[in-house]
Amino acid sequence: MRRVSLLVFFCALLSCESRKQEIIVLPETESTIDLSHIGKTKLSEYGFFVGELKTLTPAADVIPYTLNSALFSDYALKKRFVKIPQGRKAVYNADDVFDFLEGTILIKNFYYPADLNKPEENLRILETRLLINESGIWKALPYIWNDEQTEAYLNVAGKNLDVSWKHTDGQLRKISYSVPNMNQCKGCHLRGDKVKPIGPSARQLNCDYLFSEGKQNQLAYWQSRGLIDVPELGSIAKLVSYDDESVAVSERARAWLEINCAHCHRADGPAKNSGLYLLSSENDLSRLGVGKAPVAAGKGSGGLLYGIVPGKPDESILQYRIESVHPGVMMPELGRSITHEEGVALVRQWIKEMK
Amino acid sequence: MRSVVLLGAVLLLACSKDKPEPRVWQSIEQSLQTQLITIQDGDTLFLPEGNFMFTKSLAMEGKSNITIRGKGMDKTILSFKNQTEGAQGLLISNGKQITLEDFSIEDAKGDNLKVSEVVGITLKRIRSVWADGPKTENGAYALYPVLCKHVLIDECIAMGSSDAGIYVGQSDSVIIRNSKAYWNVAGIESENSRWVEIYGNEAYENTGGILIFDLPGLTQYGHTTKVYNNIVRENNHNNFAMKGNIVASIPPGTGVMILATHNLELTGNEIIDNKTVGTGIISYELVAALNEGEVEQETSIGGVQTVANNFRADTLYNPFPYGIYIHDNKYENSKWFPALSHDIGKLFFMKSFMNPPDIVYDGIADPNRPDHQICVQQGDEVIVINLDAANDFENLKKDARQFNCEGAKISLR
Repeated sequence: MRRVSLLVFFCALLSCESRKQEIIVLPETESTIDLSHIGKTKLSEYGFFVGELKTLTPAADVIPYTLNSALFSDYALKKRFVKIPQGRKAVYNADDVFDFLEGTILIKNFYYPADLNKPEENLRILETRLLINESGIWKALPYIWNDEQTEAYLNVAGKNLDVSWKHTDGQLRKISYSVPNMNQCKGCHLRGDKVKPIGPSARQLNCDYLFSEGKQNQLAYWQSRGLIDVPELGSIAKLVSYDDESVAVSERARAWLEINCAHCHRADGPAKNSGLYLLSSENDLSRLGVGKAPVAAGKGSGGLLYGIVPGKPDESILQYRIESVHPGVMMPELGRSITHEEGVALVRQWIKEMK
Repeated sequence: MRSVVLLGAVLLLACSKDKPEPRVWQSIEQSLQTQLITIQDGDTLFLPEGNFMFTKSLAMEGKSNITIRGKGMDKTILSFKNQTEGAQGLLISNGKQITLEDFSIEDAKGDNLKVSEVVGITLKRIRSVWADGPKTENGAYALYPVLCKHVLIDECIAMGSSDAGIYVGQSDSVIIRNSKAYWNVAGIESENSRWVEIYGNEAYENTGGILIFDLPGLTQYGHTTKVYNNIVRENNHNNFAMKGNIVASIPPGTGVMILATHNLELTGNEIIDNKTVGTGIISYELVAALNEGEVEQETSIGGVQTVANNFRADTLYNPFPYGIYIHDNKYENSKWFPALSHDIGKLFFMKSFMNPPDIVYDGIADPNRPDHQICVQQGDEVIVINLDAANDFENLKKDARQFNCEGAKISLR
């Protein structure tokens, strides 16, 4: 009897464990909210591309461009275009993004090839993000492509898409790719209280591109097309490509931090409350994170004391957060679900070599 | 056979009471996020009664004159327990005159509610919690207005934050009133904010009850704070903040902590049974000094680890508290021992053996300011200590009379 009661006791104990409350989430019922006042509902309506939409063959007034150092977006590749209306030349700025006038549209297509080692074959386009300058105010609109790759539709609330590709190491990668919602677009593009483009600055555009007319410096090409007036090419600064191994590690790391972090971490960006500023022009080591205590990091500190501890990447909060994929820890907060291995290795090396 | 029946019966008994019904949640993620984007200035968004589960941050940006109203903090629950993306639960940014009222936010992976760069933000009857209680993995802030102007937090509840429950940072013209904060590391914290009133709140069973901090290297520095008619009771919870954050250095048992700020009136509060110190007034220099000792023993837990190394280079920042006036509060402490796990607690223990002080001033004064920057008028039974930390505690005084002066009262009306 004694044994039985003991048994009973243990069974009771066991049966009560794993009694954590279950969570059941009912699926969302489809609701239709009219979006026509926000923007065109189909990408094709803009007429950016000629022929089959998915070939992304630009119309005559749509100019392709590339950047020296691009934001990491879960290894998605990007094709960028700009449409500047006739007679509305962009205004040159030596340090910052050009002032594009009313009617300008920036077009950014995100896609994966089936095999990252064959970046031109078997493409799947996921989304196209537009930045449209309407009466001086930039509007950010995300369009999601259909499975047939015949059209992309305006979606303001964002969406997750299952994506897989063969990575550069030959391994199959699978992720849940997140198309941002319209507010998240602004989360990165906000400067002060205004939406602004991030990429197309003189420093970012100052490199060659293979146009249909041949290889040419992008700034020279824009000038020749009457899109902007630029000073003499030799006088224009250039942001390094963080992929360019011929360049010093510190310069590459700073370029990586600028394009991945500094859209928020700058004096007029949404993360200014952190006191951490990551533009590559920042010269104050403390503002760059060296010996800087976190302000409102919460568990984002990872139990570490400073943004950057020279020589010690594993004691640096910055390194911890760019490596993390925890939503409450990871940096940037948006736009990636996996770690940019090459990027974090670069920053790691930079901190390691820092004295 | 009989024993099997018995077994069955016992099992049933043992668990029938505890077995929780599965909680059923609805998803309104796409439609609510779409509404938050398409809502027109001046509109009110009504949240229905129910339990709603989200996998991503919800965000509203650039709107004016918007009210988001639930059916009550016990009736409309937004949970982010299944969150896989985004650093906040709900993010409101870059707007004007936004009111959120009568709903609950639970279990975000980062902050539950962040309000950034909004002029005119009212949070009324918002309950923001990590439902499983205090844990280091919880998000930092339950209610987090930052870089805002005209902030009103009224009748809210904050629980479970691994940093501060109600946290207002780098903001101006702030009222936090009639709210409850418990089981957070810091109950209520005002940081680098100006013209702040904190009154009629209950801060209990946190690590620290109410903190008024000024930290270096930020967009603005704080001053002018009135903390009155609050109940600050038994803030003796162990410190579960992630190391590296300034609140990780708060010793359990802290009632009110005043760090490096100026023009502050503390009056009419009940500051009771906070075992380490009722009210601490310290400079950033003390935090830095404790930190220097810490560097030699980096692995120690609960020390003061968080100092921006070059704070002295920040010429706009004043690390010394001044213009502090503490009067007519009720102090009681039935506890004998402060928290010995933390540097500051140890310090108080050694300097005020068996009789934790009601009020402690670190005694590190701004050399450029005259005396009487700290005024305490609390009667003789309140234990006030000047640590004289500036001179290695040589002149430590337990005499309240040295602080007997009438400071400036603060009127923000």
